[in-house]
Amino acid sequence: MDPLPSLPTSTGATPPTAGPEPGPVAAPPVAGLITRALRRLVQVRFDRRAVVAVAISALFVGIAWAGTGYRYQPFIDGPATISGKVPTGDGELKPLAARLDRRFRELTARLKTTAPRGVYIVIDQTQNRLYLKRDDDTLLEARCSAGSGMVLKETGGKKREWVFDSPRGRFEVLAMWRNPVWAKPDWAFIEEGQPIPINPADRLESGSLGEYALYFGNGFMIHGTLYERLLGRAVSHGCVRVGRDDLRKVWANARLGTRIYIY
Amino acid sequence: MTNHRAFMRTCLAMIVAGAAGLAVTTCAKGQATPSPSEIRPQVARLQRINSVLQRQIELAGGKQFYLVLDSGASDITLMLSGAELQRYPVLGLQVGQPRVSWVRRRDPRPWQDVVWSHGELDPPRQIDRLVIEAAPPGKDTAEPEAPPVPSTPEELYPVPSRYHVRFDEGRSIEVRPLEADAQAGRLARLRAWWSAKWHDVVAAVFGTDRDAVRLRIVLNPKDAASLYRSLPPAVHLVILAQGRPPAPGGTPRPSPARTPTEGKD
Repeated sequence: MDPLPSLPTSTGATPPTAGPEPGPVAAPPVAGLITRALRRLVQVRFDRRAVVAVAISALFVGIAWAGTGYRYQPFIDGPATISGKVPTGDGELKPLAARLDRRFRELTARLKTTAPRGVYIVIDQTQNRLYLKRDDDTLLEARCSAGSGMVLKETGGKKREWVFDSPRGRFEVLAMWRNPVWAKPDWAFIEEGQPIPINPADRLESGSLGEYALYFGNGFMIHGTLYERLLGRAVSHGCVRVGRDDLRKVWANARLGTRIYIY
Repeated sequence: MTNHRAFMRTCLAMIVAGAAGLAVTTCAKGQATPSPSEIRPQVARLQRINSVLQRQIELAGGKQFYLVLDSGASDITLMLSGAELQRYPVLGLQVGQPRVSWVRRRDPRPWQDVVWSHGELDPPRQIDRLVIEAAPPGKDTAEPEAPPVPSTPEELYPVPSRYHVRFDEGRSIEVRPLEADAQAGRLARLRAWWSAKWHDVVAAVFGTDRDAVRLRIVLNPKDAASLYRSLPPAVHLVILAQGRPPAPGGTPRPSPARTPTEGKD
């Protein structure tokens, strides 16, 4: 006698049959997987022509890649060719050569006059180095502190903003002060969280700028510092701070009008 | 008879002396007056040197920073208003031009006797500005915290394994600090080369006017790092013509500030 067919359930799913409890499926070992993949790869029949075509294409692409980029050659000073009207005769060439030679000497002399003579100061504000130079000689290389690049924002009041950068360019010593007294600007009080004084005399502070100050315009100076341990780092508000001994050498050599180059 | 012989001897001596004199003057003339074929290149060279000198004078009269590359003296100098700010010895100098699949793409524009303008670092130096917001002073406000001690330039500006100074009209200077670094490991060099190769491939294929002419300058690592950290913005460059007397500003010599043997900083 045939068993009756089981009626489908309302969901269409067959009722679960009794069996072992389903557990975690054991992952096949990696080595097994690799060997299985290799077997399959061996079974794949490659078209020999396709393989050759791919190999040749890859070779061409490789050659093209190797030949793409920049070709470098030793620098050779370019060939000089006469510009303008080309003189032909000996009679025209000789005077032209003489004129050009005179012009060359004239230009060389003019170029020499552009170079600073005597003592001048060079400041590398990124490396925080100050060089005191005379003509082509370096008299002094000193660590200094240039502008920190910090930004100070005033949250209340006029909501002003200051960027503490040292300027770049060519300057001249406009004033020289022994034992300078600092007339503190507004930002110095704001930075310290102090009220800005109404009386100008309350702004004066002595000792903080060291023994000497060389003023080169727009509020910027080369001066001493109380924080010599920070020399070599950019910590100033834009002025150039120098150690005591180095500042003495700068002071001894500099004069009013001494050029300062900051980069 | 003896008189006749003496007269003949005298005449002969005079003829010999005259011939010798004539020969000497001819030789001297030949040395002093060069032929037009000799004058022509001299004239061309002088014209070129004068034009470069003229450009140098113009740059020295301006307010812009500029680099002077002297291939003869093997150095590159950062200058402002005629003043030498920093001189870097050049250990190697090459000219690079793009090529695609071995086919060179020459830039027809002249680049040797012109001023390269508005040079900017690539990648640029990142200036990480600290912003301090100061509260208005009040009775209850606490003492503001002291700002942190800033980093050293070496900590602030890490130097990439390769950098460019890109000028207008597709001209650039390329510096690879690792190239002359004896302490750089093989792996670091290989990585730098691989990265540079891919960048060059991309630049040659897609960069139409960005890198038409490239001067590759080999500096010692310390100088390469110093140039990267110190180069001002919008710098110009002039390449000196060779065959000229030493540039004003003294005889070429390594900068006293940074010579390869010194270990300051």
